[in-house]
Amino acid sequence: MSIVLVRIDNRLLHGQVLEAWVPAVNANCIVVANDQAAAAPFQRTLMEAAVPRGIKVVVDSVVGSAQILRRGELDAYRVLLLYATSQDALAGFRQGVEFAELNLGNMHAGAGKMKLSCTIALAPEDIENLQQLEARGVRIVSQCIPADRGRGWKKLLSDNGS
Amino acid sequence: MTGLIIATHGSLAEALLQACTSIIGPPATARSLAIDREDAVEEVRSRLAAAIDDVGRDGDGVLIMTDMFGGTPANLSLAFLNPGRVEVLSGVNLPMVLKFFNLPEGLSLGERAALLKAYGQQGITLASDFLKQ
Repeated sequence: MSIVLVRIDNRLLHGQVLEAWVPAVNANCIVVANDQAAAAPFQRTLMEAAVPRGIKVVVDSVVGSAQILRRGELDAYRVLLLYATSQDALAGFRQGVEFAELNLGNMHAGAGKMKLSCTIALAPEDIENLQQLEARGVRIVSQCIPADRGRGWKKLLSDNGS
Repeated sequence: MTGLIIATHGSLAEALLQACTSIIGPPATARSLAIDREDAVEEVRSRLAAAIDDVGRDGDGVLIMTDMFGGTPANLSLAFLNPGRVEVLSGVNLPMVLKFFNLPEGLSLGERAALLKAYGQQGITLASDFLKQ
């Protein structure tokens, strides 16, 4: 498989992804790995319509998208893979989606979460999930848009007093 | 590099560039120009001329995006129209502005302006149309 970017973004497909990341990594296929979106036909239609012509869009569940990627159906494409949560990213990895780096894009604040940057806030479960990914060799980098400086998540965690 | 000026009523132009910054990062070679009802025509014209000189210093042409055909920002911009060197595109919207910064290199100013016109139009959708498909 030829995955050029794996990103956790609770907004999934939106302006930063379409206008900034797609050109920055020269992706020609976006895989939205999300159970809710996969089960909502109208949301899928809108996502497909929002993507410029010439870019393939696949909206499938976390498990379904892992199967598609594992079977090599998208090997000819430069794939940008989106997960909404750390839980989904870990589940995808466990389902055989191999990636060496994980981009933290948008994981917004909420009760009981630790704020690492303006767009990244982690709950204790997120930290556990990311630690598991890191233990499997995944480099985890917080970078909202390509123009931002990418920063290792551990550095942000220690800077924020954990 | 082709220069961009967004000239609008009030602070819409500045807001478009701010929105752009949050999506793709700080825009290069772009200026916003706010035109308010108390501004004198001559003063606006000289601000436009200065902005054109500024963003056009590379010699690759300047695109002026304005908010509304027939409005003052567009009317005053039209005085600078010089096909191939200064183009004026009205009906500015965010997709159009974002696309400006993501166009391939090697296009002429005229080609850029035509592509951005089409792109801005494609950016207008009525969500319920997708239900009928």
